[in-house]
Amino acid sequence: MPAAIDYEAFREEVRDFALRNCPPEIRAVVASYRKLSRKIWYPWQKILFEHGWGAPNWPQEFGGTGWDTRQRVIFDEVMAECDCPPQYHHGLRHLGPVIIEFGNKEQQERFLPGILNGTDWWCQGYSEPGAGSDLASLRTTGRREGDEYIVDGQKTWTSHAQEADWMYTLVRTSKEPKKQQGISLLLIPLNSPGITIRPIRTIDGWHHVNEVFLDNVRVPVANRIGEEGQGWTYGKFLLERERLGGANIAPHRMALERVRDMVGKELAGEDRRAERELLNHRLLLAEAELLGASELGRESIEAAIEGKPLGMLPAVIKLCTSVTMQTISQIALDAVGDRLAPRFKRVDGEGPNAEAPGIEWVQNYMYARVRTIYGGSSEVQKNVIAKQLFGM
Amino acid sequence: MGFETKPVIGGEMYEMASRFATEAGEELAAIAEAHAQAACIGRHWAGIAELGWMATAIPETEGGAGGDLADLASLAAGAGRAALALPVAASCGVVPVLLAGHPILADVASGKARVAAILPGAARDADGKALSAAKALDGDAVGVETPPDPTHVALAIGGDEAVLLLVPTGAAGLQTATYLRIDWRLAADFHFGHVAIQPEWIVARGAQAMRRAEAARDVGALLTGVECVSAMGALVEQTIHYLLNRVQFGQPLATYQALRHRVAEMYVEYETLRGIVSRALRAAQSGEEASQAISFAKLRLGEAGRAVAESAIQCHGGMGMTEELPANRLCKRLMMAEFEFGNRVFHATRLLAGQEA
Repeated sequence: MPAAIDYEAFREEVRDFALRNCPPEIRAVVASYRKLSRKIWYPWQKILFEHGWGAPNWPQEFGGTGWDTRQRVIFDEVMAECDCPPQYHHGLRHLGPVIIEFGNKEQQERFLPGILNGTDWWCQGYSEPGAGSDLASLRTTGRREGDEYIVDGQKTWTSHAQEADWMYTLVRTSKEPKKQQGISLLLIPLNSPGITIRPIRTIDGWHHVNEVFLDNVRVPVANRIGEEGQGWTYGKFLLERERLGGANIAPHRMALERVRDMVGKELAGEDRRAERELLNHRLLLAEAELLGASELGRESIEAAIEGKPLGMLPAVIKLCTSVTMQTISQIALDAVGDRLAPRFKRVDGEGPNAEAPGIEWVQNYMYARVRTIYGGSSEVQKNVIAKQLFGM
Repeated sequence: MGFETKPVIGGEMYEMASRFATEAGEELAAIAEAHAQAACIGRHWAGIAELGWMATAIPETEGGAGGDLADLASLAAGAGRAALALPVAASCGVVPVLLAGHPILADVASGKARVAAILPGAARDADGKALSAAKALDGDAVGVETPPDPTHVALAIGGDEAVLLLVPTGAAGLQTATYLRIDWRLAADFHFGHVAIQPEWIVARGAQAMRRAEAARDVGALLTGVECVSAMGALVEQTIHYLLNRVQFGQPLATYQALRHRVAEMYVEYETLRGIVSRALRAAQSGEEASQAISFAKLRLGEAGRAVAESAIQCHGGMGMTEELPANRLCKRLMMAEFEFGNRVFHATRLLAGQEA
């Protein structure tokens, strides 16, 4: 029988490691609520990898940690408490598990190390102008020519494309009667000739999504994961992993604590007591929602570790936490909006007003609208749940 | 069999309680008159007494079955499936905590002693101030959940002279008026007309009395949460069943996206309540301080309970307005549960006070 795990000692070990090794400038960025970029993520991933903690969500033989559910949850909680970047990159969370499940040995040896140590940065080439929630309608084509595919088309809403090395991409490799058939999953280097990346300006004022144009891009057949035409299956597997990322509620709870802290400071004093109490009460209701979701997160991590189906849990967690995160961003806006929203940009400056401290609360409010749209919109999640509930 | 939700805790006791509640609910629903309903509830009380429900958490040395919180939760989870019109949380959980170590417990276990619990703040004097135990008792406790024909009230009074009393309902000056609540349970107004406190009524004093009263309230709130997860699950199932079978405009209502989405929203509320109540139950079972976890669960219960009950009524259309619809017993139960053992404002205030401390 293995020795019992001392969870409190584990928590201390993780906290001690995080505080000792996560650079203060990185923690400052995480704490400030700004959008995270490769510059912030990469060094921390490298540090975690060197310590053997690069991929808690992977099987041990591929570099996973072998932790149980409780350790996984503790790790996520401590990372959030210490303002370390959450380990949520496309390579680690999405593509890695797909390569482990469906890639061949050569692909595993070629791609997994770069994901694990953080040197290769990945983005997701899924959505297209005509294929958003209805992803299977995608029209980017991959035409076979010898041992290469010639890829033509356009991807959009591509997060991190501006700073990534690779894009895992769904392309149509044959015309079939069902739109879910004939799709393949290709791994495309972003420095390939024929690729153009254009930023999309979003309502929050941050740069996080792009359009990616593919014009006669040559991709070796060896970069195809699994069978030709089976990409939809792999893509769905990957999306399930994406949604499992939502099981980590710790960063959400940390965000709530930050807003609570901000409300206390921003609305200090007796004359603002009523406003402060109103917002604090709304935060309590939001916190109750997150606590319910965190328990479901725990259940789904447990199911994933035991290899059991996750059922509707990811959809339920996504639906409720996305709205709760919007609520939290609304509460923050209510505390600072009248003071800061009018000073969004200086006419003689560039981008959101860096001289208005706290402007990120306003940006974050705008950004939070996407939470019920991306990763399967709320409407799609409700369709998924209803299909299970009604059996039709 | 259609879609099935899961309770916070299952097992044999859960199954037994669920069967009992379903049969009792059908019997009660067939009766229209209030006095006949009250008599029916009296028979159901005798039924659960015989099954030993009230003995569950009372130690064997005091005439009980020596069970634990998991056993109580199984009963509550089963009872909740059909909104059993009996004070399960109060009589099986709260009263044994209030009266721990008291000789009356053996009679509580057998169902012979029927005790209504009045928690701190519930009894008020004529000026609306919390009742004081400084001298004789003068005031009212209204709408107190009660077993049939209560033999005693366990009255917890806070303040400088905090005390926990076990007052016989036959005491001089104590008057009782009994009601049926909106969820078919029994409630009573207790009027204390200059009731002189007898020394033998005193169960505990001061901080000890308040600690007991708060522990009792927490157990009550937790078990109510467990019960409501089951009630909400049953309500989701019954709404699905109705929509699959009701045809309008030539199609089952279950094909309409507006209704499908509303049911999906109900399901999300149910799942997150199940999550937060499971979390509170785990905290309470581990023996650590669980008040905060329980308050969060009760706060969520208030929000989720109304949302689910209102949606269920809407999805049933005109049928949703009828007394005969079994789903409505669940709706009303969820609505009442919100007020038991501290309403939303009570628990939010307690949490906010905890944050400032």
